[in-house]
Amino acid sequence: MEAITLAVVSAGLSQPSSTRLLADRLGEAVRDRLVEAGREVRIEHVELRELAHPIADNLVTGFPGEALRQAIDTVTGADALVAVSPIFSASYSGLFKSFFDVLEQGALTGKPALLGATGGTARHSLALDHALRPLFAYLRAAVVPTAVYAASEDWASAERNGLRRHIDRAADELAAVLLRQPARTRRPDAFAEVVPFEQQLVALKLP
Amino acid sequence: MQFGIFTVGDVTPDPTTGHTPSERERIKAMVAIAEKAEEVGLDVFATGEHHNPPFVPSSPTTMLGWIAARTERIILSTSTTLITTNDPVKIAEDFAMLQHLADGRVDVMLGRGNTGPVYPWFGKDIRDGISLAVENYALLRRLWREDVVDWEGRFRTPLQSFTSTPRPLDDVPPFVWHGSIRSPEIAEQAAYYGDGFFHNNIFWPKDHTERMIELYRTRYAHYGHGTPEQAIVGLGGQVFMRRNSQDAVREFRPYFDNAPVYGHGPSLEEFTAQTPLTVGTPEQVIEKTLSFRDYAGDYQRQLFLVDHAGLPLKTVLEQIDLLGEEVVPVLRREFAKDRPADVPDAPDHASLLAASRATAEAGSVQA
Repeated sequence: MEAITLAVVSAGLSQPSSTRLLADRLGEAVRDRLVEAGREVRIEHVELRELAHPIADNLVTGFPGEALRQAIDTVTGADALVAVSPIFSASYSGLFKSFFDVLEQGALTGKPALLGATGGTARHSLALDHALRPLFAYLRAAVVPTAVYAASEDWASAERNGLRRHIDRAADELAAVLLRQPARTRRPDAFAEVVPFEQQLVALKLP
Repeated sequence: MQFGIFTVGDVTPDPTTGHTPSERERIKAMVAIAEKAEEVGLDVFATGEHHNPPFVPSSPTTMLGWIAARTERIILSTSTTLITTNDPVKIAEDFAMLQHLADGRVDVMLGRGNTGPVYPWFGKDIRDGISLAVENYALLRRLWREDVVDWEGRFRTPLQSFTSTPRPLDDVPPFVWHGSIRSPEIAEQAAYYGDGFFHNNIFWPKDHTERMIELYRTRYAHYGHGTPEQAIVGLGGQVFMRRNSQDAVREFRPYFDNAPVYGHGPSLEEFTAQTPLTVGTPEQVIEKTLSFRDYAGDYQRQLFLVDHAGLPLKTVLEQIDLLGEEVVPVLRREFAKDRPADVPDAPDHASLLAASRATAEAGSVQA
């Protein structure tokens, strides 16, 4: 069977970043479950900090440069997406949003996705459900029910009932989806599947 | 192969002097650019169409009619004429009128436009963009080819017993190019009718251009108009030249950095690596332009953008002199090399008239 590819998008800005740390934990937890089920897994990291300039350039010019295009291809071509943003001013970071803004319309339709966020305190954890979840609903990604928030204090939480438990539950959910639907969610290629012109005319019911 | 100039018609402050031309200055500058293009031996002048500041060319056939009276040889075209928001009846009339005034030195490039509010300003819905382009062009073709048209469609008032006047010169409609940057549907439309396809590649990486043109060529052959290599392809280009490459970069950089479309984004160096933009010597422009053939195949029309972002008219005219004297003669020679004999030139009025007479004679012989 083909390897399952997992695109892990992290919008952390500091280095090292707790956002990347959470993204790694989520990616690894999903991979462990899939490997346990006998599947091969390839994790592909997309670190948005390194793409900050190319993303801004794309907003201005309307097309992605080479490095950004590779990142976009990684995300749109993956079997599933793990997307983690720091929470800034009660929402995802601007960099995180800008990356998803420059994707083609429909690029994430049906893509199984797991969302995560980080912040200094737990006060902003609902940003996951009030900000990230609507964004991915608009993008028509298939987001799993559990999203994972990590506040600074969570990095010292007890194994059994803290962050680890949330990561496990979220990873269970995404792994279950991927094991149920091994088929890849490839986007249709607009160039390979052009609508014959007669159909365009017929759609207009022209005489 | 045809070489020419296409202009957006933007009124942009010169970032090096702060001078903003008046609308009148800019309009007259566009005329001067067209006259210069003819003077140095270029083949085509094309103007954009816009309905919002800071752009001036809202009325392309008025401008092209004036230029037609002041030139002898150059083909007058558009880049693009809005097939979505203009009434196709008015397009049929305006361009037929222009054909008569310009003795046939006219073709037209249709496009959907990229300014959202123009649709509602003209009573249309941007979500209908492709459908408008399909239906309006279907009507436009009939208006040019049938003396009396009955019509009913989704988007305009029905027509009963309507004759578009004047009729096209010699009953030969202007050649049509379809311009689209991103929409496979429009490449498909151009292929279906056997019309030309223009990909304005100037702000796009070459692999995207390559896919659009390959699609058009494949579908052109699918619809039986010829081989893929015989499809009629046009490309854009954007250049700034000085004898010394470093002088060109130094002089153009402030215009690039503040340009309306891509300014304040990637660096000049990144953008020249990613897109057709060439800032350097005439030899560098020749080299880059010749490379278009590597991914677009042998093509028929090459238009250059030279007058945007606030460049003063004097500088623009110097650019056109360099194109006419040093660049285009070499490009003509080099593009002609290894070009298969069965790759046609872009149709013009004379060739379309000859083809239409040949068809008529063949018909009468059969009868």
